[in-house]
Amino acid sequence: MPERVKTDMGGATAALDYDAELMLRVKEGDGASFGLLLEKHRSPVVHFLYRMVQNHAVAEELAQEVFLRVYRSRSSYEPTAKFTTWLFRIATHLALNSLRDGKNERLQERLDRDSVELPARQVSDNRPSVEQKMVYQVKLEEVRLAVAALPEKQRAAVLMHKYEEMEYSQIARVLRCSESAVKSLLFRAYETLRARLAHMA
Amino acid sequence: MKCPIETRESAELLLAYCTRELDAESTAMLERHMEICPACREFALGQRAVWEALDAWEAAPVTPDFDRRLYRRIDREVPWWNLLMRPLRPVLLRQGLPIAAAACLLVMAGVLLERPAGAPPAAQPQSAQVEALQPDQVEPALDAMHMLGEFSNRMPGDATDSKM
Repeated sequence: MPERVKTDMGGATAALDYDAELMLRVKEGDGASFGLLLEKHRSPVVHFLYRMVQNHAVAEELAQEVFLRVYRSRSSYEPTAKFTTWLFRIATHLALNSLRDGKNERLQERLDRDSVELPARQVSDNRPSVEQKMVYQVKLEEVRLAVAALPEKQRAAVLMHKYEEMEYSQIARVLRCSESAVKSLLFRAYETLRARLAHMA
Repeated sequence: MKCPIETRESAELLLAYCTRELDAESTAMLERHMEICPACREFALGQRAVWEALDAWEAAPVTPDFDRRLYRRIDREVPWWNLLMRPLRPVLLRQGLPIAAAACLLVMAGVLLERPAGAPPAAQPQSAQVEALQPDQVEPALDAMHMLGEFSNRMPGDATDSKM
């Protein structure tokens, strides 16, 4: 059973976001609205999960579960918070469970394997040289390892802050903690990342 | 300006500056401070490096059959009667009540036509209940009757008394 959002939106008059409106239409049986939500949030959710678990196949499997849970809970959906807060709460919950289910010990193995299947870089004019590719891969590997070394909650907070551009308050709702706790998580996470990645400047 | 790096709360200013979330006034103030504060300068440089490094981390695109797999899983959760009824749903939604009423009438008519007119219900036999012996009980019963016969023949006293 997916988690339900019970957080306060800071006032009863908080306007519904478009996604929440779409979800209410899904609740009424409109399958097309579910398709729109899927279209909009598919990539952010998969990418967030990929950066959390650092395995593309596992990330897609978890993302499927996220959207399946959204669909299953349509009949009991109440827009008590932003739709993305609810969505990323489900995603974070599943990612943390996946990591705690012993899959994280295979993380290093995945990193090694996945490093072979890097996404092709979009270079329009001139292709990167072999040397440039190698430099990029080394750099990328360092970033991945640095993020993977972060404690799970710090990792989730950094990924939501950096890639989803969420505000502290929204991250706090996703992680079910206070805003000051999020600031503390982010401060410590970036401190660790600076120590590991600052030489890349 | 107090050095923001001295307290965690103020260090948020530096984080916000590096992510360009700071307003123009605070940005200008912080940049003036950084000109004279090497620690803050180093913090900002380090944070920018982290930001750029994270920017370089591209996630692979979602596989093209993601939606198909998801909808297949959703369909697996839908009961089979719902799948069967799916093509009929628009019709049923528009004309559900008349169709349901017609179906009820048909069922009732079928029940009435099936019942034979005037056929009396089968009467339950009201005779005294006699316990029927099962085949495997017959032999012990005959044995018991034979023993009773022998027993009465071997009772001479009884026979004398009865003669008296």
